[in-house]
Amino acid sequence: MEPVSRHPWLVRAEKLGRAKENVLLIVLLGGLSTLAFAQIVLRNVFSIGLPWADGVIRLAVLWLAVIAAIAASRDGKHIAINLAERLVPDRVRRPVGALMDLFTATVAALLAWYSWSFVSDSRAFEDVVLGTWPAWVFQSILPVGFALVCYRYVLRFASRIRVDRR
Amino acid sequence: MIVAGLLLVLLALLGAPLFAVIAASAMIGFSREGIDLSVMAIEFFGIAETPVLVAIPLFTFAGFLLSEGGAPGRLVRLSQALLGWLPGGLAMISLAACALFTAFTGASGVTIVALGALLFPALVQAGYSERFSLGLVTASGSLGLLFAPSLPLILYGVVAEAPIDDLFIAGILPGLLMLVLLSLYGYWLNRNTRASRESGSARAFLAAIREARWELPLPIVVLGGIYSGYFAVSEAAAVTVFYVAMVEFVILREVPWRNAGRIVRDSMVLVGAILFILGMSLASTNYLIDIGVPQRMFEAISQHVSGPGMFLAALLVFLLVLGAILDIFSAIVLTVPLVLPVASQFGIHPIHLGIVFLAAMELGYLTPPVGLNLFISSYRFDRDIVAVYWATLPFLLVLAICVVIIAYVPELSLFLLG
Repeated sequence: MEPVSRHPWLVRAEKLGRAKENVLLIVLLGGLSTLAFAQIVLRNVFSIGLPWADGVIRLAVLWLAVIAAIAASRDGKHIAINLAERLVPDRVRRPVGALMDLFTATVAALLAWYSWSFVSDSRAFEDVVLGTWPAWVFQSILPVGFALVCYRYVLRFASRIRVDRR
Repeated sequence: MIVAGLLLVLLALLGAPLFAVIAASAMIGFSREGIDLSVMAIEFFGIAETPVLVAIPLFTFAGFLLSEGGAPGRLVRLSQALLGWLPGGLAMISLAACALFTAFTGASGVTIVALGALLFPALVQAGYSERFSLGLVTASGSLGLLFAPSLPLILYGVVAEAPIDDLFIAGILPGLLMLVLLSLYGYWLNRNTRASRESGSARAFLAAIREARWELPLPIVVLGGIYSGYFAVSEAAAVTVFYVAMVEFVILREVPWRNAGRIVRDSMVLVGAILFILGMSLASTNYLIDIGVPQRMFEAISQHVSGPGMFLAALLVFLLVLGAILDIFSAIVLTVPLVLPVASQFGIHPIHLGIVFLAAMELGYLTPPVGLNLFISSYRFDRDIVAVYWATLPFLLVLAICVVIIAYVPELSLFLLG
């Protein structure tokens, strides 16, 4: 995928974004594994249970899934049926791709919008998770994640259109 | 509604990401029913309410990490020392090694890239024909799907809300059937060719065991732990990650720390893609069940299909087509919630259905035009895709026979469960 713009700020933002995704993924996966393993050791060796651990692990899986999906959007690795790549003639492949990106960006934007309303409702109703924590804090990854996925597909769309014009 | 549906199918076929297509279909459905679309977020949040899901990122990462280091090479050398003296032995070794490796790495093409790349030249050098060898490594890329702790088995358990431990046990005999029939085919085909055999030497055997001493405990601990009921699936996953990370990063130091970031990213991108589809389909499935699609499907099907035998035949045809266009993860997530209630009305056990489903989808990896293994193999071994089709065809047929047996002999899946 060609870069959308060579503007130094955007290039820097791209690099920073990738690094941030990687750090978050490592921290989440590392934390998840450590907590899950620690639980086994504590239970079998010391007969201690961590009552909050399961809930934390489940929320971490959700965060991991969303951040990994943002990373997948950047790398263009979302699961798709690759029939078109082989059947669509070269000439129309780019416009078709642009159309698919636009569709995906629109869906992601709608998801972001409605997750935002889900989170605000949850905040208004003062939902809690893990006993006493406000649920909206943990749920907020949804609108943020969907918005970033949308942003990625807008960028992909823009880069295809730009190259078209040249 | 029909126009919208056809449009979405077209978008999917043209390469739109499946999560977006599924989300769009759910949103169209819900808005027609006048339900606020924040239901999408509520359903997606269900990912945080499914306990076993944690096993998916953990096993995927462990599998990716395992294929980075020298484990594939040691696995091949060990099995060669173990079985290399048998006629057709190397073919058997390749099948068994690939099955074990796929069970741990989740059939994502890693097996062909990591193990097939070692086995293909070894097979050719040992005197097997190139066509046979190419077909064998391509077909073995997804062999082992039915053995614990394979990712598709776990995902089926999650989606079907079936006990994953039971699925692991149910997969043993059908998985072995595939291995045995393919081995027999390899033996029969090469009974007259003078494929060279390793003479079984005790020294080579001990050396191979010594070399693989760090990996050997892994299947024993993980499979033993799961099958004996000592570990829950998610615990086994945590133990696997911890163990593999210790061996690769600390003890053997085969994988440098600086690669950790890339391996985490590569493996988690796959996890993110799978779970994103799962999250969206939690919503779309709920909508379809709400409007009674499975019941209507059952009524429509039972007009043409009488009895479980005929239903299974129809199911196999359906899965074969499905497997040729959809990857196994999306197929499970999308169709299992709809097929499961219909199948149970025909009296098919959910565990048996799971094994049939995965076994049939395994064929999808090898079915032209878009079977994943065919492309990976063609790319990895630099062979024309049509040559790969032909080389794989006999293996596909043998596997198809296995799938029919698995479907019509439910005892094969259910016997060990008692």
